[in-house]
Amino acid sequence: MKKLTYFPGCSAHGTSEEFDSTLKLVLKTLDVELEDIPDWNCCGATSAHVMTENFAYALPLRNLVLAEKLENTTIGIACASCYQRMKVTKVHMDEKPELAKMITDKIVEEGQYHGNVDVKSMLQFCYEDIGLETIKSKVTKSLAGLKVACYYGCLLTRPKNITKFDSPEYPVSMDKIVEALGAKATEFDYKTECCGASFSISNTEVVLNLSGQILEMAKESGAHAIVVACPLCQSNLDMRQPDIEKQSGKKYDIPIFYFTQLMALAFGYPKEQLRFPKHIVPVEGALSNIGKIEPEPEKIKKTKKAVEAESEVE
Amino acid sequence: MARVGVFVCFCGANIADFVDVPKVVEETKKIKEVKYCIEYKYMCSDPGQGMIRNAIVENRLTSVVVAACSPRMHEKTFRKALSDAGMNPYLLEVANIREHSSWVHQKEKKAATEKASDLIRMAVAKSIANEQLHEISVPVTKRALVIGGGIAGIQAALDIADARIPVTLVERSPSIGGRMAQLDETFPTLDCSQCILTPKMVDVASHPYIELIPYSEVLELDGYVGNYKVKIKKKASYVDFSTCTGCGACTQKCPVKIPNEFNMNIDKRKAIYSPFPQAVPNKPVIDAEHCTMLLKGKCGICAKVCEKGSINFKMVDEVIEREIGAVVVATGYDLWDPKPYEEYGVGRFKDVITSLEFERMVSASGPTNGVPVRPSDGKVPKNVVFIKCIGSRDEAKGIEYCSKICCMYTAKHAILLHHKVHDSHAYIFYMDIRAAGKGYEEFVKRAQTETAATYLRGRVSKIYKKGEKLIVRGEDAQIGQVVEVEADLVVLATAIIPYKTNPELARLLGISYDKYGYLSEAHPKLRPVETAKAGIFLAGCTQAPKDIPDTVAQASACAAKVCGLFAGDTMKKDPMISKVNIEYCSGCQNCVKVCPYQAIVTEEVPFGHGVKEMRTVAKINEGVCQGCGSCVAICRSMAINLAGFTDPQIINEIVSI
Repeated sequence: MKKLTYFPGCSAHGTSEEFDSTLKLVLKTLDVELEDIPDWNCCGATSAHVMTENFAYALPLRNLVLAEKLENTTIGIACASCYQRMKVTKVHMDEKPELAKMITDKIVEEGQYHGNVDVKSMLQFCYEDIGLETIKSKVTKSLAGLKVACYYGCLLTRPKNITKFDSPEYPVSMDKIVEALGAKATEFDYKTECCGASFSISNTEVVLNLSGQILEMAKESGAHAIVVACPLCQSNLDMRQPDIEKQSGKKYDIPIFYFTQLMALAFGYPKEQLRFPKHIVPVEGALSNIGKIEPEPEKIKKTKKAVEAESEVE
Repeated sequence: MARVGVFVCFCGANIADFVDVPKVVEETKKIKEVKYCIEYKYMCSDPGQGMIRNAIVENRLTSVVVAACSPRMHEKTFRKALSDAGMNPYLLEVANIREHSSWVHQKEKKAATEKASDLIRMAVAKSIANEQLHEISVPVTKRALVIGGGIAGIQAALDIADARIPVTLVERSPSIGGRMAQLDETFPTLDCSQCILTPKMVDVASHPYIELIPYSEVLELDGYVGNYKVKIKKKASYVDFSTCTGCGACTQKCPVKIPNEFNMNIDKRKAIYSPFPQAVPNKPVIDAEHCTMLLKGKCGICAKVCEKGSINFKMVDEVIEREIGAVVVATGYDLWDPKPYEEYGVGRFKDVITSLEFERMVSASGPTNGVPVRPSDGKVPKNVVFIKCIGSRDEAKGIEYCSKICCMYTAKHAILLHHKVHDSHAYIFYMDIRAAGKGYEEFVKRAQTETAATYLRGRVSKIYKKGEKLIVRGEDAQIGQVVEVEADLVVLATAIIPYKTNPELARLLGISYDKYGYLSEAHPKLRPVETAKAGIFLAGCTQAPKDIPDTVAQASACAAKVCGLFAGDTMKKDPMISKVNIEYCSGCQNCVKVCPYQAIVTEEVPFGHGVKEMRTVAKINEGVCQGCGSCVAICRSMAINLAGFTDPQIINEIVSI
């Protein structure tokens, strides 16, 4: 039984509830026990770090201080933005302990920061701490036949020197996880492009354009669905899809899954538990591909001469 | 009674702005041995040196102190002034009040002035104990070693050999020619690279004064300027060059196919191969890493088809030795691996290639017979995007420096593309166009006008695939907008980096290298071809990125330096070397162990006092000793003294402050 400190973040209790609940199903199967950070607070998200730098550190720092009081040394974070803020704070505070002390002295009542916890996104935790082999071993219902484009967004692997995880330009960890589930990850060049993020509210046009390009490229890659690990990416690509379709006049019909939903599906959980009704774009079309395995292209018959040449070498 | 003259230099404003020179002079005059002290604006100038000469004669000085810049800069100048005045030049001491005081204490003038006075007081005290020393003459071996057979090594070897000085040219690959042999045409004249290079390669092979040792590496270098000993490993070629006629039957029949590094792995070569048709020497070698006969003992087809019986699978590496007087290092360059540019799909997209791959494709003798094609499907590309500064000028992913030649070869590639594929179009993303050189700017203009290449100022942020096309997204900073170009082929102008074994080579030669691995010249402006170690010179990209004209010029400069070194039968050498007082030497031989130059040997001397037995004492080889002082420090019985830095001199210095 592995133990993991959990920081759900605000969206896990709202827009990305299906991420939170399927994550818990998946981790149950993988024998991981979650322990919430007691009395956790907002990570500050975009708002805090556009205000003042030290305030942007203070909010996640309090969470880190609280997490240090627990037994486990790793915090798993569902939301990409929470992960980013917590990880940046951890790395910077480890580099500048005097600044950490100044902030905790002034703002954090719960004690001092010692730098004893690591911060990981749930994607990173599944990839590094659980491992592909274990994930593969838990699959009871292969997703073979399903083709997905893995979309990481801008935060999960960036900046490189902070996250120190996967590639900042062409990450593959999620691709490998979905392939462990039996699905096929398509070659998708837009995996780290911007979805428009919180402009969804203030300047929706931007999101329609940027998320539209991501949908377009995912479709082009032959994917039936997009897989994400970030609540905001999910909501932009899913919730704005009808508007994007209206604007471009194209029909995408691409459901947006959390990677944990696909894991839970492959681990044999019934569809009813995976919260699909929360999706705007219906998922049935994409999921109907599971089990439809394309025949492999026939192997090109080697000419007699080539065979001879090879055997000669051997 | 010592009579010391002290000459304090202003060095223009370099010293005088931070050190109160008149005050220093006033302080110096208080030292009782100082009989003469004067300041001057530029001591190293002719009038400055004249002042020293006159003062020596007029004041009957017994030693001289010049307080100025580092002795590395002008010690020789002032020593000459002393000998011109009839004084032994080693009675000079230099007090470095510039690098050691004024330059490093610019914010604390008072302290700088005091420190300058202290440095002078020390130098005066030391100079009182200076002894008259005389230069040592050592014989010279008049043979040069050239490491590397690219255009730099070829030019240096030919120039030295033309002066009737024997040259040993060592090349690591089976043929000389280097990178230049891989090029198609050369900027800014579009001369065919092979056509101007191969005659020189043939000259090397046929020159009576050049010994060409291909497929070999330098293992060890011992000795000192004029008297080096080098060990060279001749790698086993498994082909007896003396009987091989270079007919090529073995290569034709060899069944093993492996990526051809000469063609940037675009096509395949055999396990027994000659890198290219014009290779010199044009004899094949067997690649031991891939030959199935050598690996598994099966095959041996080459031996069966060789009419001369030149194949010998039992050949082993051979180490040979040569005595040489000077070394020219010309190990050339490598290309930076663009893998970190993941956003360009390097490694994922077959049609994103490097410029040297493009160069091989447009080469008439290349793997595609001079027609550029897309590696993915073999189609001839119409729209080709060239991206400059890949790895160079990029601190985040690559290296800080400008790779110097990429602006020019990219312009060349645009022109060559147009020559080979008439209806093609070149797009060039650039940061700056650096076209300084004779005919260079005109050449870039030619690419822009005659070839009508589209130059886009800005960086490429991403390359992605859409169908068969590669979409190149970048910024056009001149219109301030993001642009996307549909490309069939993308060519990355990857930076020049030093050859990977440079640090290893530098260590075995005993020379220094910089943080990138380039070998360091002795002075960036005034001694660009010498290294800090006497008798070792640098040519070509081993020192810094360079184009062909600069490389050839530097190689010829190396040759001139080598010829100058070999102009006399003997060479003068600094007398500041260690001496053993055998009366004190106990023969412990600790000095033998610490000497980094293997300059100390032992000898047997009579015990003396009527005792018949012999005893062992240390003996310094004057020619080899570099005067580092390690033996002096280790000697327990204080039997070794370093001329110019004797115990009385050092003690005087210490006592004076």
